[in-house]
Amino acid sequence: MKMTRREFAKANAVAVAAATAGMAIPAAASNLITNAELTRLNWNKAPCRFCGVGCSVMVGTQGNRIVATHGDMHSEVNRGLNCVKGYFLSKILYGEDRLQQPMLRKRNGVYDKRGDFEPVSWDEALDLMADKFKTAIRDHGPESVAMFGSGQWTIWEGYAASKLFKAGLRSNNIDPNARHCMASAVFAFMRAFGSDEPMGVYDDIEHANAFVLWGSNMAEMHPILWTRVTDRRLSYPDTQVAVLSTFEHRSFDLADIPMVMKPNADVVILNYIANHIIQTDRVDRDFVENHTNFVRAVDDIGYGLRDEHPLQQAAANADEPNRWSEMSFDEFADHVADFTLERAARESGVSESRLERLAELYADPDIKVMSFWTMGVNQHTRGVWVNNLIYNLHLLTGKISEPGNSPFSLTGQPSACGTAREVGTFAHRLPADRVVANPEHRREAEEIWKLPEGTVPEKVGFHAVEQSRKLKDGEIKVYWTQVNNNMQAGPNTQQEILPGWRNEEAFVIVSDIYPTASAQAADLILPAASWVEKEGAFGNSERRTQFFHQLVNAPGEARSDLWQMVELAKRIDVADVWPSELLDSAPEYRDKTLFELLYANGQVDSYPLSDMEEGYANQEAEAFGFYIQKGLFEEYARFGRGKGKDLDYFDTYHQNRGKRWPVVDGEETLWRYREGYDPYVEEGKGVQFYAKPDDRALIFAVPDEPPPEIPDEEYPYWLSTGRVLEHWHTGSMTRRVPELHRAVPAALLYMHPEDAREEGMRRGSEVKVVSRRGEVRLRVETRGRVRPPRGLVYVPFFDANRLINNVVLDTTDPISKQTDFKKCAVRLELVSLA
Amino acid sequence: MKRWLTTYWRLLMRPSMHFSLGFLTLGGFIAGIFFWGGFNTAVEATNTQQFCISCHEMERNPYREMQGTIHDVNRSGVGAQCADCHVPHGWTHKMARKMEASKEVWGWIFGTIRTEEQFEDKRRELAEREWARLEANDSLECRNCHDFESMDFTQQSSRAAQAHSTTLADGEATCITCHKGIAHELPDMSEFYQTSATGLPDIASWVAHLERDAPAAGASPH
Amino acid sequence: MKWLTMLSLSLALVIAGLVIAEERRDDSAPDGLRPGGTLSQSLPAPPLAGEPRDAGREVLNYPEQPPVIPHGIRDYQVDARANRCLTCHSREHAVQAGAPMVSISHFRDRHQQVLAAVSPDRYFCTQCHVPQTDASPIVPNTFLNVDQVLGEMLQEQREGGGQ
Repeated sequence: MKMTRREFAKANAVAVAAATAGMAIPAAASNLITNAELTRLNWNKAPCRFCGVGCSVMVGTQGNRIVATHGDMHSEVNRGLNCVKGYFLSKILYGEDRLQQPMLRKRNGVYDKRGDFEPVSWDEALDLMADKFKTAIRDHGPESVAMFGSGQWTIWEGYAASKLFKAGLRSNNIDPNARHCMASAVFAFMRAFGSDEPMGVYDDIEHANAFVLWGSNMAEMHPILWTRVTDRRLSYPDTQVAVLSTFEHRSFDLADIPMVMKPNADVVILNYIANHIIQTDRVDRDFVENHTNFVRAVDDIGYGLRDEHPLQQAAANADEPNRWSEMSFDEFADHVADFTLERAARESGVSESRLERLAELYADPDIKVMSFWTMGVNQHTRGVWVNNLIYNLHLLTGKISEPGNSPFSLTGQPSACGTAREVGTFAHRLPADRVVANPEHRREAEEIWKLPEGTVPEKVGFHAVEQSRKLKDGEIKVYWTQVNNNMQAGPNTQQEILPGWRNEEAFVIVSDIYPTASAQAADLILPAASWVEKEGAFGNSERRTQFFHQLVNAPGEARSDLWQMVELAKRIDVADVWPSELLDSAPEYRDKTLFELLYANGQVDSYPLSDMEEGYANQEAEAFGFYIQKGLFEEYARFGRGKGKDLDYFDTYHQNRGKRWPVVDGEETLWRYREGYDPYVEEGKGVQFYAKPDDRALIFAVPDEPPPEIPDEEYPYWLSTGRVLEHWHTGSMTRRVPELHRAVPAALLYMHPEDAREEGMRRGSEVKVVSRRGEVRLRVETRGRVRPPRGLVYVPFFDANRLINNVVLDTTDPISKQTDFKKCAVRLELVSLA
Repeated sequence: MKRWLTTYWRLLMRPSMHFSLGFLTLGGFIAGIFFWGGFNTAVEATNTQQFCISCHEMERNPYREMQGTIHDVNRSGVGAQCADCHVPHGWTHKMARKMEASKEVWGWIFGTIRTEEQFEDKRRELAEREWARLEANDSLECRNCHDFESMDFTQQSSRAAQAHSTTLADGEATCITCHKGIAHELPDMSEFYQTSATGLPDIASWVAHLERDAPAAGASPH
Repeated sequence: MKWLTMLSLSLALVIAGLVIAEERRDDSAPDGLRPGGTLSQSLPAPPLAGEPRDAGREVLNYPEQPPVIPHGIRDYQVDARANRCLTCHSREHAVQAGAPMVSISHFRDRHQQVLAAVSPDRYFCTQCHVPQTDASPIVPNTFLNVDQVLGEMLQEQREGGGQ
């Protein structure tokens, strides 16, 4: 127990060396093992564990071990291809330090915030958790407990969590890490179309003649979609690829129109393109008149900082940023008239010739254009606006909801769409685009859940960044995170997150598969099962829902997140956490546990174990005595059926490579809102944005507003953060795969060689990156895959030993509350030249 | 005007009355050194990296692409500058190249390559011109640093040693034949891509040589 | 003198208090990719990992795994204009160059149609094939390849049979 992992690794190295030395000599007399019973691998499909593209992989198992993975030929998404991470999925579960037992900080045999971790039983862990939740709610109300979940939760895990919090504990303080990732996209979809998620599908790629990447580096972050774009571009030479970013990256390798812009200049560029479309008279008048309305968004909306921050105080509309007023087309034309080509070129630093070529991709009626974006747009203090500005271009030209004409918002996590967005695990949402603030929506949820009116609270819960702040302020007493690593991935770690987690007031629980930075900062660590160690379902960027079976068992005592939540629910009585008035209105629940209220409610538990497909383990279902995954899914699916969010029946998904919702009469939908493709569009309408009351999408007029922090003399560089191809998010899985680790072993500071020269630094120098919030030490890279312009540096966030988020400002888009990880001001200090 | 010129012409043609022949010869010599030095300094000035990248077009593309390559930075700090590869070191060749370069100044003044698009359009042409030049002068500028006699084949990878000891040794290939696109990005090689699936030149010819027996090639009877 | 002692004592206390306050955030924790109990610290950055020019080919973990790149790829241009990897790894040149030819799988398009040349969707080699630095693993990986798993199973069978 006292041996550290490092010492253990050292001791082991000798043994490993001996073993490999022995294996290096091929045994002369060895022969193939030909016994079919032994060599026949068990192959099953599963969606990839990493990004939102949702590739399907084939997983080869033998003797309760994953021994191989490869791309699934039958998947329409990836057709047999994987990126390098996907090819190494076989190894992600086998890091030597897998958590296998709950661990609790203790001193003298009892829990102590300042104690050392000791292994405990599941019963001890769960009993303590139940006690902490009950005590906190009793003494401080339901707002004193919170959960930070994930776009990597399976669909039923997210649903179970949402139900546990919003209905059981009656707290809306549940938010997914998708808040850091997709919130801006969500809000813009709701504003413009009234329904979340793209109208198009990946098939658009094979129909488009032009691709525009708005601040997206698909070559590294969505590699398999990039193979499809590359295929299209190289196979059809007239195809054009435009890439816009604040620094040069691998996607530029395919760019016909490469553009490096100054941070925050996208608002100006997008408004210019709208202006260009109007000035050159290429507005699709018919489409605009019949299917759109023009509105003016409120301006001066602040920066999502703490309320007392001067910038918040100074902003006129910081309190209610998500409002707009009607305007006419002519007024809109007047608004964008200020955004001339000269101005766009001057303020963005991109040449006029390139901007004009870019604008023509949208304006030219003969070009089918697909727009892609992810974090460059979403992680932006004006992220919602920029999302809307992109839709503006597609709506003005009618280039939407048809093959090849497609504004396509990409996602970063395997089930950001399927779980975080569709299930609605956000602090303001309920399943299928409902929101807690809407009394009708709450009522519908309560009805499906068989709960008394008033169960689901009205007040929007704490979003991700606010949760960190409330922990620091001592308002959150119990905090549970699952499948994410916010200590490394959240902004302003040293000032806002770490002090909150280590606050004496707070009891912090982290469920994970490895000892991440978050687990290290927790009070109770719960060992989780991952990926194919449980039955699961993910929903990808193109609305495709994909299922997977449990294929191997989790090691030791590791249990799925679903099991953990349901077991906790067994230990909390409804009477412990509901106020007496509510209990009075539903006396039948007075003596029930949350488990009985939420999961054994006659619906979720209505599918027997015999419904399970033969030949597959399912430890959770066996533990609870009913097919819990099916029960949760079918109850959840009731929210969306008939509402344009229809999911197919549970059993079908195990048999196919996923279907894209709405699935009506077993048929998936490719292009939403377009007659002939979408069954929800009424006959004769052609196009119908039916999720809006008047069937019209909104075109937004927004101004240009400056970012909250701009480089100055003291902090002269812009900092942008992000990912690299080989590592996924905080690297907890990929950095334990030797091949991926050796490919990119550490986060580096990517900078322009001339900047390095001026600072007296060079490739390999050790440098301190310092902001007003913290610092981190890194090595300089001047010739890497990322080539920043002068005045900007780039640092990926996968490296736990170089917590770049110590430096990042915790500013958010005021509407979506999504953090801006792409721009803040830093200075560089030389530590050593070599 | 004409008269003024005539007067001066006469003055210049008149034999000296005040200075000795020795003084005039010496003075002329010194002045010559002065002017010659000035000229040379001026030419050298146009050979500096600073001069080359003083024009935006050169800085934006060829220079940035070269930054960080093995010819810019390396272990022992022997970095090449523009002129090292693009201007011959010998006097005659250098002057010839400088005359040629005046055309580029013309292009600069009249903006043949102003925008990024114009550079991209010309990338192939510009590259081919340099390849042809190096092909014609047997990679003279490469050889200023990479002397064939000084190559230690035992320190090279077997593939490199093979190529250098055969095709390069007997003059069939010159450096640029194989080493295109090492300091700047290659232009669009898609025509080659269609036919040989690589952007790279003339591998077939040196491969043909690899198949020949190396010692036999070295001992060719002449 | 007394005041000086008092002052230094109180100063020492204040400093100790600060140090404790600082350390309190770094409660002990298990080692992971990051050493436990170091979250508030700014750790030194190790030098850039070495990039061996010629590392030697590695045995695949399973047949479907894309081979890692056993050599340096500094300055290798792979973009819409040119693909330097194919200089040696294309069908035509692989044998002479002594390099492995790109796999047959690369000559099929999305619809499994066999093409005359490498499929454009496989154009950017480094999306699947990555070079390896000499960095040593932070955490060992206990993945077993199929032969090792079969070996264990056979062993178990043998032992089971002996009972």
